[in-house]
Amino acid sequence: MRDGRRGLREPVEPVESVGTAEEPEQAGAGEPRGRGGQRVREVRYAAGGRSVRAGLRDAGYAARAEWTKLRTVPSTWWLLLAVAAVTAAIGAGAVSGLSTAHCPPAGCREDVVKTSLAGVWAGQAAVAALASLAFTAEYGTGTIRTTLTAVPGRLRVLAAKSAVVGAAVLVAGGAGVLGALLAGRALVPAGFTAYDLGAGPVLRAGFGTALYLVLVALLALGLGAALRDTAGAVAACLGVLYASPLVAGMLSDPEWVERLQRYGPSSAGLAVQSTVDTAALPIGPWAGLGVLAAWSAAALALGAAVLRRRDA
Amino acid sequence: MSAGTGTGTGTDTGTGTGTGAGGAAPYRSKLPPARDGFWQLLRAEFTKLRSVDRWLLTLLAGVVVTVLVSLVSAGGSEMATSDDGGGSGTEAADRVADSFRFVHRPLAGDGSVTARVTDLTLGRGTDAPWAKAGLIVKAGTEPGSPYVALMRTHEHGVRLQYGFEHDVAGGAVAGDAPVWLRLTREGDRLTGYESADGERWREVGSVSAAGLPRTARAGLFVAAPETVRVERSFGSLSIGAGPSEATGVFDNVRLEGGGSGGSSSGAGGGSGAGAWQDEAVGPPSGPAAANGPVGGTERAGGTFTVTGSGDIGPRPPAGDLTWMSLAGAQVGLIAFAALGVLFITAEYKRGMIRTTFTAGPRRGRVLVAKGVVLAAAAFAAGLAAAVVSFLVGQRALRAGGHRPPQFPEVSLADGPALRAVVGTGLLLALVALFALGLGALLRHTAAAVTLVVVPFVLPLVLGGGLPLGAVEWLFRVTPVAGFGVQSTTPHYEQVETVCLPEDGCMPQGPWTGLGVLAVWAAVVLALAAWRLRRRDA
Repeated sequence: MRDGRRGLREPVEPVESVGTAEEPEQAGAGEPRGRGGQRVREVRYAAGGRSVRAGLRDAGYAARAEWTKLRTVPSTWWLLLAVAAVTAAIGAGAVSGLSTAHCPPAGCREDVVKTSLAGVWAGQAAVAALASLAFTAEYGTGTIRTTLTAVPGRLRVLAAKSAVVGAAVLVAGGAGVLGALLAGRALVPAGFTAYDLGAGPVLRAGFGTALYLVLVALLALGLGAALRDTAGAVAACLGVLYASPLVAGMLSDPEWVERLQRYGPSSAGLAVQSTVDTAALPIGPWAGLGVLAAWSAAALALGAAVLRRRDA
Repeated sequence: MSAGTGTGTGTDTGTGTGTGAGGAAPYRSKLPPARDGFWQLLRAEFTKLRSVDRWLLTLLAGVVVTVLVSLVSAGGSEMATSDDGGGSGTEAADRVADSFRFVHRPLAGDGSVTARVTDLTLGRGTDAPWAKAGLIVKAGTEPGSPYVALMRTHEHGVRLQYGFEHDVAGGAVAGDAPVWLRLTREGDRLTGYESADGERWREVGSVSAAGLPRTARAGLFVAAPETVRVERSFGSLSIGAGPSEATGVFDNVRLEGGGSGGSSSGAGGGSGAGAWQDEAVGPPSGPAAANGPVGGTERAGGTFTVTGSGDIGPRPPAGDLTWMSLAGAQVGLIAFAALGVLFITAEYKRGMIRTTFTAGPRRGRVLVAKGVVLAAAAFAAGLAAAVVSFLVGQRALRAGGHRPPQFPEVSLADGPALRAVVGTGLLLALVALFALGLGALLRHTAAAVTLVVVPFVLPLVLGGGLPLGAVEWLFRVTPVAGFGVQSTTPHYEQVETVCLPEDGCMPQGPWTGLGVLAVWAAVVLALAAWRLRRRDA
């Protein structure tokens, strides 16, 4: 705001005349005022040269607007509840279903932590639905035009939505993961060793799984911005998430199976859940999460490109 | 919309009498009523379906994804066919297991063989519920030749088996109690009898002796199928087969009839001891082959102690080629689910549903019309996808080394393959109907699509990690049971096989599985119809 390179004039002293309409061409020249003389927050957008503080403030407003939109829709809360409940419940079910019947004679090397976190396979579907809706619901109802009028920086809208949805998913997913780990530890059947919640690999698996859900949300958000259609975005996201393990299950060629497990978004991302024999995994825990992050980044880039280039 | 047809022609019929002396008659529209039959509803729904480009694209995407994933699945399954050992040459012998310990004599014409099986014990490390010891009449000693056998099994009581595929259950065997067995040949029939004391006989079954020459080999046999160990831990599976052996003890052995020794020869009496020949039939299979031939026979007086390994029975193919070439439906169903949900939720979103219900006020009928149109379209697309997947997939599988004799060739004309292909079309149509019901019930596109896809995909994805019992339960009761219609693996009760649902071995029959899915779709649609009537559009 200070340098005014793009011809923006320096704000002049506020004009004290209240209620008189200034010349419209002068918009931006003076501090605009609302009715009754209250100061209206001026949010100015320019291609370059804004102070960091102003940028942060604008981002804050955009994020707050997105949070308002997110929290006032009932489906958000249902879906967040589903993320937490399904993750915890299926994990608990999987752990209590463990049996030693099919263990090798040397003893079970079952990854109990990974089993108790198996509910993410279902929880991620609810995350996909929630995050896809962030854009597609607005396109469906036309709210997107209001949104982009209020916040014309389209990338800023994308960033604000990503931050808000990501944070909401982090909280709900974290709750689900914590519930699954607690339930799993309580339900470990005889013959398997219970884990310590504070142990390094367990913490990595827990935090990694919550991060995994956030990355899935970003993936779905990007697809939603790119496709603009709820059913299309949800279906595409579910396809991307589930196709790699499904196809890996069909193949018998071990080389292809390993390739899919290494580069498929969900198979690679969930490598972070492993706490046993991590050296034998097709991809390391954090590297796997990195693969998913690359997928999410690609989806967000696609969404950003469509958002910028195409009319809303 | 259907209401638009036929309303515009205002003919003045029925207005001639006018208002009579009766005062104010209720107002009646002078327009002839529009036709609102079911046919019009169907036409309206079909018009909607075909005129939305995005829906047609979804349907097309479903077909393309199904075919592509099937192709990847079939093409990525390389099969090393270099191991031509183990097979005994003829195709018939490769499809069946036929190796056992055989103590035999010739039996010419009619006659019978009788023995008391006093004991059947398993060797060390052997876990074979279907280990068997008993009597057999067989065309010869070459593997794959016809036979009829009556046996006592380790855990499944007395059995009469023949023709490698057939299995008739007899009585149960209590613990270690000895069992008397008798196999009688009379003309074209072979009849098996069992008895607890050798005096009161009970018929187990009577079968045709087709394929057996007049002079066959008859005698005692012992076999023990390989011990199969399944080791599962999350996401990994290893199947190991271990050697096995069983020992059967026989006494009171009698072969009567046209044997070499005359019309009646009591083997137990010690006459013609050399007449009994002891032989291992068939190649030793699996790891046992490395340890040399298993088994042998000891004879002390009238008591035969026979030790053997192997099995007599069908050998199911190593993989279900039909299932493998139709696997793309597991991913393709996502598009069908999306279409089914959108077919109703899109109308709610745009307010179109009010127009639809104005034109066709009977909501249940509207839902039925939607279902019929959707199911027909999904079936047509699904069938096309399945046929193309099957043809392309079979070609890719053959190129990948899935060749006879290990994998018999499958063609679309085969009953089970045709059933699987047509069933895949039905499966995808039912997925779309299930989705339509959930869409009408929830009126929320994202939630409905997710709820349709997850029950199908989750058991398939998580299958490898859950305990076998839990997986079987999931494939029995959840909508994913519908995939059973794609399975063509034959089930034989008398053979222990590793049966994994995720590999296409379903816990129930093909049509039962599809029926489970149909019940799910019907229940959801019924709930949707109920909600549709009670709630404002």
